[in-house]
Amino acid sequence: MTSAQISRAARAEKAAFVLLWIAAGTVILPVLAILVVMAWRGAGGLSWSFVTSTREGLLPAIAGTVALVAVTAAIAAPLGVAAAIYLSEYARSGRLVRFIRLSIVNLAGVPSVVYGLFGLALFVTLMRFGRSLLAGACTLALLVLPLVISASEEALRQVPRGLREASFALGATRWQTVRRVVLPNALPGIITGLILAVGRAAGETAPILFTAAFLSLSHPFPTSVFDPVLALPYQLYVMATEAPQVSEVQKWATALVLVAVVLGLNLAAIILRARLRRRRW
Amino acid sequence: MTTQADTPHILRPAGEIKLETRRLALFYNEFRALKDISVAFPARRITALIGPSGCGKSSFLRCLNRMNDLIDGARVEGEVLLDGTDIYHSEIDIPLLRRRVGMVFQQPNPFPMTVYDNVAYGPRLHRAPGRADLDEIVERSLRSAALWDEVKDKLHQSALDLSGGQQQRLCIARVLAVEPEVVLMDEPCSALDPTATFRIEELMLELVERYTIVIVTHNMYQASRVSHYAGFFLMGELIEYGETVQIFESPKDRRTDDYVRGRFG
Repeated sequence: MTSAQISRAARAEKAAFVLLWIAAGTVILPVLAILVVMAWRGAGGLSWSFVTSTREGLLPAIAGTVALVAVTAAIAAPLGVAAAIYLSEYARSGRLVRFIRLSIVNLAGVPSVVYGLFGLALFVTLMRFGRSLLAGACTLALLVLPLVISASEEALRQVPRGLREASFALGATRWQTVRRVVLPNALPGIITGLILAVGRAAGETAPILFTAAFLSLSHPFPTSVFDPVLALPYQLYVMATEAPQVSEVQKWATALVLVAVVLGLNLAAIILRARLRRRRW
Repeated sequence: MTTQADTPHILRPAGEIKLETRRLALFYNEFRALKDISVAFPARRITALIGPSGCGKSSFLRCLNRMNDLIDGARVEGEVLLDGTDIYHSEIDIPLLRRRVGMVFQQPNPFPMTVYDNVAYGPRLHRAPGRADLDEIVERSLRSAALWDEVKDKLHQSALDLSGGQQQRLCIARVLAVEPEVVLMDEPCSALDPTATFRIEELMLELVERYTIVIVTHNMYQASRVSHYAGFFLMGELIEYGETVQIFESPKDRRTDDYVRGRFG
């Protein structure tokens, strides 16, 4: 190789590095931009009373989101984890399993507004839950189910085969092996997946738009699962589209609180995963 | 002692036979991993299965406690008789079978639990023994596995903190706690250093007074040191089976001769 060729190769290497670096760096930009703009425009509207007041503040929306997310998790967690256990521990490859997997993939690809309409048709109307916490949570549970199943299945697959074999070889049944060895070892991963799914549910507007959300000053808090609820993303949506009297700074402050809740949940998942990984049982 | 007419180099040992296979074949989907294996394991003796990597000796061992059932596409033909009863009969209780025929694996695989809970795992599966009862089972099993003195002060610490050799003896104790009749060992020392290997071999010679042991090993010195009987596997077939001394000193089949003299494998 001549020195000209070498310097050309070196220049190409340099150019590739810079281009690839820019591509990777671009990912950080929108995240930072969103956070900075929100903080810039919304921080001024944040105050203790804005967050905790029932009439002028966000308390009903925060409480509604917490309630929605809790009921969603209560529905999606047992269903999703059980499905993942079936797929990972019981199912043998066959037509039924392929069909189940295909369904999960497709479920994950359905746009969230379609979930909203489906929830309206099935839970609100057909099953007569009405526009309610329960109907909204059922709809959100469907939305996050593929997430919960994939995360749980992945966590179950991480449990070494040798542990399963040891258990079977000692005369354990499949269920005993799942209960006593596989599930405890997969739990950190499963819980992490659940929290991430819940974070996703907390931020969704479309699925609850027709199924649960309701702005009512006379009934700010639900008293049963059949009551409609207010939720942060819905409140933000209403503020931004139908409430010209609300100041810009309040809208941005609401967005800030919503993002804080979702990021907080994600952060909790990351911390929990790190802690449980360090622990051996 | 008699030999079977159709398989001249396969000895049928005299005395009580604990476990035997008749025309056993194993398939992984279309692939035939084992062909026509008929062999008898005498009670309270150590039988070593030797042969080059991939010859099917581990697959064969896993037929003896139906561990191959767990593998998609695995299919067994022929019979495996434990005390004369076919373990592949449709009415066999497989968990019960695996309690009677225990298994120690190549890699020590203690559960991520305490030493105590590892040993107590099997007994707890089948009944709910009282605390005192369980303490006694744990101590007895650890003593039988020659591990008690080393771990009696750390019963409630993680089993993963033990050394590799201790972990493997813990796995043996875990098997003994369910009071098996046969113990299958799949290259139990291949992940261990020479000192730990020596302790396991010593242990096997103690255990054989009460248990029937079948061990798969790629280490011919180990086979000749510990076993009473030995079988040589090659490409899914049992080539020769007899008393260990005979297999190593005057093999009848040329391929066995080549292998034990280290000409291949």
